[in-house]
Amino acid sequence: MPISVIVLIVIALALVLMYNSLVSKKNQVKNIFASVDTVLKKRYDLIPNLVATVSKYMEHEKSLLTEVTKLRAEANKPNISDEQKIALDAKVSSALGSIMIAVENYPDLKANQNVMHLQHSLNEIEEQISAARRAYNQAVTDYNNAIEMVPTNFMATMMNYSRKEVFKIIESERKNINVKDLFH
Amino acid sequence: MKSVSELTDFYYRTLFPTLEELDKQRKQLRYRIIMIGIFYTFIFILIFISVIDFSTNISIDTLIFMIFAYIGLGGIIYKFLIKDYTAEFKSKIIKPLITAIDQKLFYVSNMHVPKRIFDRSNLFTSKVDRMSGNDYVHGDIQGTKIQFSDLHAEKRHKNSKNKDNWTTIFRGLFIVAEFNKNFKGKTVILPDTAQSTFGDLVGGWLQSKNINRDELVKMDNTAFEKEFVVYSTDQIEARYILSHSLMKRLLTFQKKSDHPVYISFIGDHIHMAIYYNKDLFEPSIFHSLLKYKIAMEYVSTLHLAIGIVEELKLNQKLWSKQ
Repeated sequence: MPISVIVLIVIALALVLMYNSLVSKKNQVKNIFASVDTVLKKRYDLIPNLVATVSKYMEHEKSLLTEVTKLRAEANKPNISDEQKIALDAKVSSALGSIMIAVENYPDLKANQNVMHLQHSLNEIEEQISAARRAYNQAVTDYNNAIEMVPTNFMATMMNYSRKEVFKIIESERKNINVKDLFH
Repeated sequence: MKSVSELTDFYYRTLFPTLEELDKQRKQLRYRIIMIGIFYTFIFILIFISVIDFSTNISIDTLIFMIFAYIGLGGIIYKFLIKDYTAEFKSKIIKPLITAIDQKLFYVSNMHVPKRIFDRSNLFTSKVDRMSGNDYVHGDIQGTKIQFSDLHAEKRHKNSKNKDNWTTIFRGLFIVAEFNKNFKGKTVILPDTAQSTFGDLVGGWLQSKNINRDELVKMDNTAFEKEFVVYSTDQIEARYILSHSLMKRLLTFQKKSDHPVYISFIGDHIHMAIYYNKDLFEPSIFHSLLKYKIAMEYVSTLHLAIGIVEELKLNQKLWSKQ
């Protein structure tokens, strides 16, 4: 077999492998985002129950509760983009965080069975969301690396693939919430 | 739970009279072992000389056979000699030490963690053909069920002469405890050998091509990623289990144990295998039981095993799993 044919076969093989690896990375991002979406929905489903339970006690934080309900309604709208979902998730996380901190000020509420159960469920979903976010960020990093690194970047440009955004780590933001500022 | 220093106090104060008495026995035993050892070697050499025909060349095979026979028979005699002393040591020192750590712990010296649990753990992919072990501890610590023991898992090979050869799959401490989060899949954490030997790029690629394992999970904690490699059936669940805080705690645990640590999360349980490559909790014969180093070996190993509940916060029921 002439050398030129062998070279052509090798090049073709390399191109196929590059193409496939890019597609699989893109699909991985898509798959994991679907799981992120599922856990986010799980949390949105808890919100009405939470609001109904705490609103009887919480007089000063009414605005916080309306805010959360509004965010939930927004998130449940059809056809919102992935970027919007990511942004909404950050807002919901910080609002829910503030509500949970506020619960600490009401001893009756803290001892309420339903609230305790909700708190457990929220903690669990919070951890699941955090895990899903981290998995998503890893998948996006792998994908972004592939479309920026030689040699896959040439292929990616041809396939019209562009960088994707990662979730910002919001745990640190939540810790910095000043409770006093929120309620005065 | 009592701290290591409290336990050391307990060892040297409460157990002191027993230790002294056992140490006397140990000295007598050591004397007997040395005497019998010399006598045994002498007899063996005599038999060897009388059996072997020196006029022809001694084949290598005969020599190897004799050496193995010498070691094997010697081992049996040694085990027989220390049997009573070992039993006494375990019931008078190890058992009280475990009860001192927590009243709700039970100790059985001649049992081990069941093979089916070791198989379930998925930590080692080779099929186990022989399993032995001892020093089984089980019980409840702050509402979390835990069990651990010494384990020795081996695999059988046939050598060229169709004789059985045994290789060790795992030897050390095997710990199983309930985990405080719900999960369905399998997540396995192994010491990272590929990445540390071949570097990030080649090592990472090799890890992702491990056909014996599930999907490779890259963790977002560099220190953790350097020490361990994670495989799981579920990318998200692996991260749900391995929160940032748990990764940090596992790293601390690994540093404290100072031996290779294998961890898996399967069937609502955490499995940990610490590769010591020796039988633990055995009485020392040639060193004094009162020596600090010897005492610390018993105390800190027990503390490490029982301490995982607090160390990894397995008793924290923050989630919906009650």
